[in-house]
Amino acid sequence: MERFAGITGQPEGLAQCPDGVFLPPMALNWGEERVREAIATHFDDRLLTIGRAAVLTQPHNGRAACHYCESCYRGCSAGAYFSSQSATLPAAFATGRLTLQPESIVHSVIYDEEEGKATGVRYIDRTTGAVREAYARVIFLCASALGTTQIMLNSQSSRFPQGLANDSGVLGHYLMDHHMEVGARGELPGGEDRYFQGIRPNGIYIPRFRNLPGATQRSDYLRGFGYQGGATRSSWDRPVSGFGASLKSTLRRPGPWVMGLEGFGEALPRYDNYVTLDESTKDAWGMPVLRIHYRWGENVLAMREDMKQSAAEMLDAAGATNIETYDNYTGEGLGAEPGLAIHEMGTARMGRDPKTSILNAHNQCHAIPNVFVTDGACMTSSACQNPSITYMALTARAANYAIEELKRMNL
Amino acid sequence: MDRRTAIHRIGILMGGTLSASTIAGVLGGCTSGTTGDMPFKARTLTRGRDELVATLSELIIPETDTPGARAAGVHEFIDNMLTDWYDESEVDEFLAGLTDVERRAQERGEQPFTDLDMGIQVEILTQMEAEAEARSENGDTETPPFFRTIKSLTLFGYYTSEVGATQELRVNPMGVYRADIPFDEIGRAWA
Repeated sequence: MERFAGITGQPEGLAQCPDGVFLPPMALNWGEERVREAIATHFDDRLLTIGRAAVLTQPHNGRAACHYCESCYRGCSAGAYFSSQSATLPAAFATGRLTLQPESIVHSVIYDEEEGKATGVRYIDRTTGAVREAYARVIFLCASALGTTQIMLNSQSSRFPQGLANDSGVLGHYLMDHHMEVGARGELPGGEDRYFQGIRPNGIYIPRFRNLPGATQRSDYLRGFGYQGGATRSSWDRPVSGFGASLKSTLRRPGPWVMGLEGFGEALPRYDNYVTLDESTKDAWGMPVLRIHYRWGENVLAMREDMKQSAAEMLDAAGATNIETYDNYTGEGLGAEPGLAIHEMGTARMGRDPKTSILNAHNQCHAIPNVFVTDGACMTSSACQNPSITYMALTARAANYAIEELKRMNL
Repeated sequence: MDRRTAIHRIGILMGGTLSASTIAGVLGGCTSGTTGDMPFKARTLTRGRDELVATLSELIIPETDTPGARAAGVHEFIDNMLTDWYDESEVDEFLAGLTDVERRAQERGEQPFTDLDMGIQVEILTQMEAEAEARSENGDTETPPFFRTIKSLTLFGYYTSEVGATQELRVNPMGVYRADIPFDEIGRAWA
């Protein structure tokens, strides 16, 4: 995956955050370097590294290197930021065997009871509203965790009245997302004469250090978290009182170095976090929308306290001043609600036991061997890392397996 | 991160003094620019209020060795923001703030604000800032004081203008990333 996508990163030799095949790392700035040194000096179990990102730091597979313009979120016109448009679709086109059918909203998977397998998908032509069908020997659902789950729940038949391959009844359950919006920030004294140029589309990463083998066990919660963040100097957008020539002169120089650490924590899979179809509310295509039921559990809330305190502790060790901790969780209100990390997963999970899971170890439906689910819906636990590359690896692995099975005439 | 979160985050960066409408306007491309070569014509800041806003903004960011807010067209930017991006209650609040400035001008110098000596104008603005700070110290954050609003709009308009971003500050160029360089090489904050 990494050789294909192009991942920038710094090898660190950690078991809990394994190294990959990396393009050259992006560099740390003055403030981040200070915090990295302080953490290395004061904490045996922790380390600050540059983020591992799907952004090219050198030309790669015919794609240009990043030019540090910070427009990643608009869709990288240079293709330096990995995406299906910049990398996977062109590669698929190059095989000469890709038919891309845009403007098609998949409604459900068609299940043939006599054959005991899926035969295709029913979809809606977005431009005309017409309902159409497409047929295939093998079907891969990779529509994002909730998109796939909506399609599966909407694929009802007399064999599967609760949704496609849903013999166990767990389809839609065990929804997970990472929890975030908690951490600390502080000012780093000094470095007035240091600055940076260009806009780095990447931050720092502090890999998980809790509940790993060794002296890191916590009694108050299970699993762990990592930190993303970075240091920067603010500009005219910092609060400075007054007005007139003195204000203008102050704002001509950047503000102090400010370092922020934000936790990204693992959430446990829980049956009572789930999605269902809401038959009373249809979307523009006449499909019932998903109703999402998700609350953080006690394990998450206990972990958040540590995420806040540990961030402050590291900033303190780095000599930061005006350290502020924050936790934007507001109970039932907005602020740190599930869904913010946009890493939803778990709603068609893998498992050895068909009674408690939807997919087997090859992302293949226990009950329908020619349907594979390879997005986040397949996950059994969320870990605390960004998950996309894992989904990609699982997809490639499942696709390879499906081809082997086709060759063995098992599909 | 979505647009809502981005707006929220920028609001926090700015010390919470900018309304979501302001940030949405700037992200949406609101500038001081008028269409083509057409001269500026106020759409909301009519009846001379554009001159009052120009005067206030120039007091906040005056001409020094680089041009100030007036030359950067900050009052045009603010008129565009009010017209195209602010909702009705925000516009009313802003215009009420201008009326209050004129009330202070009459009380202090019995003249329109724009006709007062600059020393008196500065006095009035200083008083307004002190009142605004007292209000936030008392935890009164219901509506932002007018001083905060005009100041943040002026800073936003000025430092995102061509003058503010290239003559006063510097545009962070794309092309390279240098993580750690001497500040003196740049000499100004990135706009």
